[in-house]
Amino acid sequence: MPAAEYVSPEGLRLDGRRPKELRQLRAELGVLSSATGSALFEMGNTKVLAAVFGPKPVEQRSQEDEKRAIIKCEYAMATFSTGERRRRGKADRRATEITMAIRNTLEQTILTELLPRSQIDIYVQVLQADGGTRCACINAACLAVAAAAIPMRDLVASCAAGYLESTPLLDLNYLEDSGGGPDVAVAIHPNYDNRVVLLQQDNRLAIETFEQVLELAVAGCRAVSGFMRERLQEHTQALAAAQDAGEQDDVGGGDGEDDDDDVMGVDDF
Amino acid sequence: MTEIVTPGERLALSAEYDAGTGTCVKDTFICATLVGIKRVLPAGQAEAEQRPRVEVVRSGVEPVVPRAGDTVTARVVRINPRLAAVDILCVGPKPVQQRYSGVIRVQDVRATEIDKVKIEASFRPGDVVRAEVLSLGDARSYHLTTAQNQLGVVYARSAAGVPMVPLSWQEMQCPTTKAVENRKVAKLDA
Repeated sequence: MPAAEYVSPEGLRLDGRRPKELRQLRAELGVLSSATGSALFEMGNTKVLAAVFGPKPVEQRSQEDEKRAIIKCEYAMATFSTGERRRRGKADRRATEITMAIRNTLEQTILTELLPRSQIDIYVQVLQADGGTRCACINAACLAVAAAAIPMRDLVASCAAGYLESTPLLDLNYLEDSGGGPDVAVAIHPNYDNRVVLLQQDNRLAIETFEQVLELAVAGCRAVSGFMRERLQEHTQALAAAQDAGEQDDVGGGDGEDDDDDVMGVDDF
Repeated sequence: MTEIVTPGERLALSAEYDAGTGTCVKDTFICATLVGIKRVLPAGQAEAEQRPRVEVVRSGVEPVVPRAGDTVTARVVRINPRLAAVDILCVGPKPVQQRYSGVIRVQDVRATEIDKVKIEASFRPGDVVRAEVLSLGDARSYHLTTAQNQLGVVYARSAAGVPMVPLSWQEMQCPTTKAVENRKVAKLDA
């Protein structure tokens, strides 16, 4: 990319968006049958898969908490997620940092005290990286947790904003992200007075512009949360419809081994 | 008309409603904590049900976790003179998704003559038992009790492998071999 303009004189960005425009959002829930809850989340070309297992008994007993659930998180980037092959080593430090960011955000969101002595595993895999992966990861993880029916204080929505060529830009893609400007990643609880649960910033930014950029990022988060809500509602509706259809279908279905039939019968009288 | 709500959504004022399952009280509001369908249950006569209750019901499967006081159905996996180790299969009428282990200690088998109880004369591995959850127990297993008339063995196979018929609250008989075996039998119809 030539050291060119990130915002054209017409006010369009490299990918044709306006400065305050999000990339196209897409989300799919329940994509993995083995996971308790799973979600695929896309922000433009960034594509992230999240899977939640649990709540289940704690695997390592020394880590067990009498009062709340513990949350384990694993973040990984698929080797094919970036165009150029990345060297390992430094990338792992980045992965640890993002893992911590995701875990921190979800620990503040999940009502862990309702599930004492249990463990929740969250796996996040970046399938395609095009900037804003940590935000996409948080959004995907949130949807997967919601799909797993784990009680949450609120939805959590995340979005980044940057500042290039004296313009605040919403939801930076990879090219803009590597432009060397500041990048502020924010996650909020939208129904909780937009309470900020995560704020990370790369590069320095004047305090006045920071406020502008933060405001823009929070507005982006709100838009993302609206989208997530809609998707969750659609998914629940589809599930309910499928369940109704299923109940009408199998009247005599469900042949277990005869032991199990008896077990079910025990509570019938 | 069903209303689908998402976590964090305000459902009602906490002064006017009670918070049911799938909700939590946040300041003066009752908010959803799950994705699901909002339901309002009308106020009842009882002391605890003065106000209508809002709850969020999930359309999918909700995780089933045994709690103290629940009646569970469990299968005996192992016995020794001090206790019977069981796997919990169902909580009430709902099957559990994963394995929960429990123990019925010798003092929790029946209500009377506790010191005369012999585990091997009460349960055998493979028996299906109805029991009540006493407590969450230690880190490994739930503590269960069968010290009530309606609790105990509900299904057992004889040495010949045939499901047995209860004779009394302490005995079961094999219909083919007529052999009588000892069990702590549950009184089912009451």
